[in-house]
Amino acid sequence: MITYLAKRLIAIIPLLLGITLISFFVIRLAPGKPVMLQQSLNPKISLEEIKRLEKLEGLDKPLFTQYKNWLWNMLRFNFGRSIGDGRLVIDKIMERLPVTLTINILSLFFLFLFAIPIGVKAAVKANTAFDHITTLVTFLFFAAPTFWLALLGMQLFCIQLKWLPISGITSLDFEYLSWWGKLVDLSRHLILPVIVSSIGGIAGLSRYMRSSMLEALSQPYIYTARSKGLSEKQVVYKHALRNALLPLVTIVGLSIPGLLGGSIIFESIFSIPGIGRLFYEAAMMRDINLIMAEVVLVALLTMMGNLIADISYAYVDPRIRYKK
Amino acid sequence: MDSLLSIKNLKVGFSQEEKTVEVVRGVNLDIGHNESLVLAGESGSGKSIMSLAITKILPANARIIAGEVYFGGKDLLKLDEEALVDIRGSSIAYIFQEPSSFLNPVYTIGSQISEAIMLHQHKSREGAGFAALELLQQVRIDDSERIFRSYPHQLSGGMNQRAFIAMSLACKPKLLIADEPTTSLDVTIEVEILQLLMQLKMELGFSLLFITHNLSIAKRIADRVSIMHQGKIVEEGSCAEIFSSPKHFHTKELIQAYEKIGRL
Amino acid sequence: MKNYALIIGIVIIIMLSCIAIFAPLLSPYDPAAINQDSLLLSPSSQHPLGTDSLGRDLLSRIIYGARISLSVGLVAVGIATLIGLLVGSLSGFYVGLLDLILMRLVDVMLCFPTFYLILAVTAIAGPSVFNIMLIIGLTSWMGVARLVRAEILSLKEREFIQAAQAIGATHSRIILRHHIPNALTPVLVNATLGVSAAILIESGLSFLGLGVQPPTASWGNILIESKSTLGVAWWITVFPGLSILITILGFNMLAEGLKKEIG
Repeated sequence: MITYLAKRLIAIIPLLLGITLISFFVIRLAPGKPVMLQQSLNPKISLEEIKRLEKLEGLDKPLFTQYKNWLWNMLRFNFGRSIGDGRLVIDKIMERLPVTLTINILSLFFLFLFAIPIGVKAAVKANTAFDHITTLVTFLFFAAPTFWLALLGMQLFCIQLKWLPISGITSLDFEYLSWWGKLVDLSRHLILPVIVSSIGGIAGLSRYMRSSMLEALSQPYIYTARSKGLSEKQVVYKHALRNALLPLVTIVGLSIPGLLGGSIIFESIFSIPGIGRLFYEAAMMRDINLIMAEVVLVALLTMMGNLIADISYAYVDPRIRYKK
Repeated sequence: MDSLLSIKNLKVGFSQEEKTVEVVRGVNLDIGHNESLVLAGESGSGKSIMSLAITKILPANARIIAGEVYFGGKDLLKLDEEALVDIRGSSIAYIFQEPSSFLNPVYTIGSQISEAIMLHQHKSREGAGFAALELLQQVRIDDSERIFRSYPHQLSGGMNQRAFIAMSLACKPKLLIADEPTTSLDVTIEVEILQLLMQLKMELGFSLLFITHNLSIAKRIADRVSIMHQGKIVEEGSCAEIFSSPKHFHTKELIQAYEKIGRL
Repeated sequence: MKNYALIIGIVIIIMLSCIAIFAPLLSPYDPAAINQDSLLLSPSSQHPLGTDSLGRDLLSRIIYGARISLSVGLVAVGIATLIGLLVGSLSGFYVGLLDLILMRLVDVMLCFPTFYLILAVTAIAGPSVFNIMLIIGLTSWMGVARLVRAEILSLKEREFIQAAQAIGATHSRIILRHHIPNALTPVLVNATLGVSAAILIESGLSFLGLGVQPPTASWGNILIESKSTLGVAWWITVFPGLSILITILGFNMLAEGLKKEIG
């Protein structure tokens, strides 16, 4: 396992390099000079202003030099200033990152909480009414665009039923609430976003769990388990499940980009102050420093997520953990 | 004759699309106490399915169409799941063809053997562990502590099969059903395992139903032999009778197949 | 057992294609026609799906929206599949250093949540239907590439490739004649799923205002109004979303059905 880990960790370096390269060049090479975009937002800007801005941002140097400068700065966590309000990009990101991370981690938690039991039950009761119904429902939820579900949810729960608040993560009087009151307030604000962002994932993961479970139940060692006199419950939950859960660890890693990407839309809908909404605002403003910083950041988060998933997998599967 | 196991007119089939295809077409088989019976036949003759049907651990798309299996005075096929769970592993045990596939890859050998012990005997986890170590030594594994802590993928086929045998004999069953246990092993290991089975049979006193497509194995271990062909028993007799005067054409085929290779 | 998934999928897609192709014939009104007298009307016999806040008939806009969704989906997936086939074939057949570099590229690309990358580029390059198709295609080829590469690597072992080489076929011929057709099956399933993913991305982009720009109707950009008309005009939220749902369902079912038939 140590060799596996070492190999995995070393492989990160070219990945990091690749991420920065692609982030930089894809965005810089897109048609339209960044400063021209500022011009499109503010047509009164003069030619000298443009030249001055370009020099300030170092945009008059050759592309590769720009990359080196940017990379060097990035390694010192200096992503430059936001073109929008002049604040340091890194500050703006850091104040919003915890919110997005919290919501996504909660979503992951719900993902597992619901997808696993549903998938297992669908596999154990394969081809029965339960299985057919869950299959239908999961297909429907999987096909529904998350932002549409968010809108519908808002319509139903916030406007018609008035059970939940419609936007933000805290109420106006948050500061004055007790510790418990704060918790309740936060939960009321977060419950709809978290559920909406995890529904598609629950649908998908439960399908995967089902097929993984069916695969495990068709393995030879299931016969052994039965022949030993284990009850069907023990066969399913002790022998099959443990094997079926293994590949799910990597699936979690694969869901992270989806969760992060989805954050953009529903943070905008729910007016949640997270990095997704920040990115949307940056995109609208053509705030190039902020855009690039976030692209790199989410790529890093994805990469770390995958790494953790791979390491966890190597840990839980004895065939990898203990090589011959 | 007082048989340990008596199979009468057993019919088992697979459900395919709308039809049922019979693969075991009326099998009659008797095994006596402390007797070693070799059930030989070509692949696809229905031997494995029949053996699984005895304790009703069939795959999902297979079903028992007719017949009775008498064991300990009761028809096993008519018992409910609760009663069968008691019998499996404790009175009737199995060993299978590829031990590495038939052992759960995510649990250690020791925990899988202990599980068998704790199921039918009232022992603590610790007590079961010690019993498992003893069992491993009984199957002539010297390095029992290391094997106890190992996972199936870390061990050779032969070692896994010994461990499997230990697991199956943990609760001292009266009948051991062995479905091609040596087919995927090296010839030298195969001989060792066969010898081991015979020794254990003498020490512990159980009946052995040994399923194989290699009839020459019978010479080493069988009291009696039954030949299965296309879902039916086509010939049976003592080991000596079968080899000296085979009657059915398939029996002769099986004998010839292995005489040519000169196995065992 | 009838393959219901395949049937449902094909039916939905044929319906969708007809709507898209015959949009001008089917659409009762001009989708861009603003009418001050018919603002935010609920569904009626005159406007079966209601009107939006500029008085435009929703049914017409949704019909034309089908054109956008379908074309974006198909073109984007077409681009992605071509790139993926190219990369996967080169990687699988030539192995060695080329394979290593290309697969590293795949790994890096897979680290980016595609929506972030797409949004970034569309923001800078400007939102247009073509840009969207291109950028979605450029960020969705990785799955295909891996599939094709895996297929080729496994097919290389098989007999008939060796037989073809034995009779002296050249490298490119072998790739074209043998490797690619066999790798195509899972690629087809992947492409079908890719269409629904592309349609989803396009509607998301349009919803954010960085996709298809009004007055061109896209199911995503119709939903922009939904935010401001939530309690007031349910039809603006329900119908475009339902269209997206049915379309994606159709392609997903088709993919499932194909998997059952072929895979």
